[in-house]
Amino acid sequence: MMNPYSLILSLFMLLETKVSILPSASLVQTGISHLKASLNFSPLDFIWSFLTVNAKPLIQILVIPGLAFILVFAIIAVWFERKFLARAMLRVGPYYCGRKAGVLQLFADFLKLFFKEIIIPVDAERILFLLMPILLPTIPSLTIILIPFASDWILFRAGSLSLPIFFAIAGLAPLIPIFSGWASNNKYTIIGGFRAAFLYISAEIPLVICAAAVAIMAGSFDLVGIVERQKNIWFAIPQILGFLIFFIGLIIEAERTPFDVPTAEVELVLGWRTEYSGILFGFTMMAEYCNFLGWSLLLITLYLGGYNGPDLFGNSLYSSMFWILMKLAILVSIVILLRTVFPRFRMDQTLRLGWHYLTPLSVLNLFIVLALKTWGYPL
Amino acid sequence: MPEAVEEQIIESMASKHPNIFGDARILSHKQISVRVRREDLINAALYLRDSLGFTHPISAGGIDWLKENRMEVIYYLLNPENRVLLMLRIDLPRDHPRLSSMTGVWEAFNFHEREAREMFGIEFEGHPNPVNLLLPPDWRGGFPLRKDFKGEGVRT
Amino acid sequence: MSEPVIEPEIMRISWGPQHPMSGQTRIIIDTDGEVIHKIIADIGFTHRGIEKVLENRTFLKGIVPIERMVMVDTANIGLGYVTAIEKAFEIDVPERAQWIRSLICEMSRINSHLYAFGLQAESTGYFPAVFLWTTVDREVILDLFEKLTGARWSFNFFIPGGVVKDLPDGFQKEVLEAVKYLRSRFEQYWDAMVENALFEMRCKGVGVLTKNDAIRLGATGPVLRGSDVDIDVRKDQPYAAYGDLDFKVITETEGDVMARTKVRYHEIGQSLNIMEQVANEIPAGPVRVNFPLFPRSKVGEAFSRVETSRGELGIHMVTDGGMNPYRVKINSPTLRNVHVFERLAELDRILVADLPVVINSIDPWYLDCDR
Repeated sequence: MMNPYSLILSLFMLLETKVSILPSASLVQTGISHLKASLNFSPLDFIWSFLTVNAKPLIQILVIPGLAFILVFAIIAVWFERKFLARAMLRVGPYYCGRKAGVLQLFADFLKLFFKEIIIPVDAERILFLLMPILLPTIPSLTIILIPFASDWILFRAGSLSLPIFFAIAGLAPLIPIFSGWASNNKYTIIGGFRAAFLYISAEIPLVICAAAVAIMAGSFDLVGIVERQKNIWFAIPQILGFLIFFIGLIIEAERTPFDVPTAEVELVLGWRTEYSGILFGFTMMAEYCNFLGWSLLLITLYLGGYNGPDLFGNSLYSSMFWILMKLAILVSIVILLRTVFPRFRMDQTLRLGWHYLTPLSVLNLFIVLALKTWGYPL
Repeated sequence: MPEAVEEQIIESMASKHPNIFGDARILSHKQISVRVRREDLINAALYLRDSLGFTHPISAGGIDWLKENRMEVIYYLLNPENRVLLMLRIDLPRDHPRLSSMTGVWEAFNFHEREAREMFGIEFEGHPNPVNLLLPPDWRGGFPLRKDFKGEGVRT
Repeated sequence: MSEPVIEPEIMRISWGPQHPMSGQTRIIIDTDGEVIHKIIADIGFTHRGIEKVLENRTFLKGIVPIERMVMVDTANIGLGYVTAIEKAFEIDVPERAQWIRSLICEMSRINSHLYAFGLQAESTGYFPAVFLWTTVDREVILDLFEKLTGARWSFNFFIPGGVVKDLPDGFQKEVLEAVKYLRSRFEQYWDAMVENALFEMRCKGVGVLTKNDAIRLGATGPVLRGSDVDIDVRKDQPYAAYGDLDFKVITETEGDVMARTKVRYHEIGQSLNIMEQVANEIPAGPVRVNFPLFPRSKVGEAFSRVETSRGELGIHMVTDGGMNPYRVKINSPTLRNVHVFERLAELDRILVADLPVVINSIDPWYLDCDR
């Protein structure tokens, strides 16, 4: 009976013989025999055993915090945004694609974008220009793998490093607008890129201080630990100030409407995305929703009790998933709602908000948490 | 007496500068027309702006009198106090029409003088930015609002 | 347009003509980061030579091209031209026709101001909700136009000697209903625009034009009245039925974008009042006197001024006894305001983000500007 790993094992052994100066004859013999055994294996068996061993990580990568979840989130969020805003604007919104409600409109859009020509400006820095939109969705997607969807459903269990890693990855985000704005070699994209960088930095510092306050209150940098400490009371209640700061910071980081200055359409066409066409533009649009998703999930994890909630299905995994997705849906709807009622901030007003108000208030929030901790809260 | 203001203005122009302002007449209610010579233009303009209060410039344009072989530039001015509109007319020879720019007195005539320049070929001396306003920068087709314009398009 | 020399630290950006918010013009801005140092308006992209076109058409045929100048405010433009013809031929218009003209002009002004209002909201980065609301509310006005004239805009309803036809049956009642509906809607606009703290942040103190500068630079319309100058041709030189109608000239003291928005807002209120007055008190009588199809003009000139929604339109018509006007000079309001906009960068500190807000506060219509 053959072992599906025998092929790999034999290859390792053969490699070993190459590396060692004096190969032992027996090792070569064993390697050859393993190779012979692996010659009559069936690929189906191999795939089956691979799946049974790695079922959970595969589902995690492909389905829930991974690919399918992000895509489905983007589709539903875009559909909801279009449909809802259309109602606010006294329109109908997407209608024909899909049955009645236009749910398949985004697929149609992506299909169209796939077949459109990708125009690269003559003076553009070709490699950076092409690389950036492809790199763009990966950064927010990498942050999503750290979020616990249930106590034992995390794609990348980083332990007590998970919160620092989140901010380390998210901190890379300002580079992409700058690089793509510069690589496009267009004045609008350069202004947009630098606006984005200023904006991210002004928002990220209050976010980090707020997250630090949460970590102090929970006594842990581990996202699972933070969620577990919110079993009784959500951190949004003792840290209402921090929650509000984080909420505003989330909107800034996700470039949602009151703060979408880097892509301000009426001034900068589309900011740093101006020159992208075809599917590259599709990537930038998808990245916006990925980014939004990552920060929303972090907000839920830090302040709204993460996956905590009453057990509904008699299965802790299902009910945890249900609660975190429910919270996500409500949060996303609220952020999308803001788009109907607010004009855009100006660049200097956004920066003033970030540096003059959010940063000092987040430090104040940190002091409040320290005081609470000193007085023995939570017990 | 509805036309008292207009008559007062005409009287004060005639008494103060009888040599400069000619052909002063009331067109209709609160509309005056007056004609000055090209040489007296700056003096007349300063008098109108500073003493008579025509501080609000409205527009400027030209008329091409082909048969009489002259060209006319009209500045439309408004007095924001008594709301009297004044047309300041200058007659120019048709073969080489030029006059000193009014942008030193009323800055707002910048655009209108540029337009009159490209449309009629009137040269405004001392204009800060004498380039085409509405026509393309490489326009060679002549002066469109002149009466002998044939509309042949751009000759390069 | 010749390109002047640029300083090394300055970035020159061409804003338009292909830009979501610029309209059919090119605005060249010299920026140092976000601060604009200089604005150069490069207009003329939609120059159609309307003045030359009018010279080659009979008086009546000229009504059609001149209304193409401002599609959203055709009635006021058409009235300016028709009034100039009437002055040149010394025609007296029946009183009922004058009242109908005032009614249609005020409806047209509401239509245009609503459009400007929506664009002003959109330029501050509002998701186009307000723009769509105003578009939906403009339908009310446009439906009335359609009922009255048969066309939704550019209806060529004014002819020398009166208007084409009388009001249809029950039209006054529909006008009153429309006024009632629009009044209720305007409270919502006030909340969404003027009372909105974020909108105020974007518009208050931006693009300030003082009273002196407004007069000196020749601003007109809501821009001038937003700077506390109450020049309004409807009051100064009443035409149509405005001498008999009761309305106020709206002014605001601040001179910023917010003041211009408020002027437009209150002017819509005044226009609604006028609509109501006309619907209630319109006198009976004929609506037109005869005007020959191919008239011979006298030698002379006529100058008519009307207050369009963008400001004062002057039409100077010179006639030489022929079938066509000898020369028609159109003093367009937008050209004056665009010049003011060009100078605003020197008068006040304007950021790149303020550019769409400021340019929409003068309510530019480049077809009007280029003629």
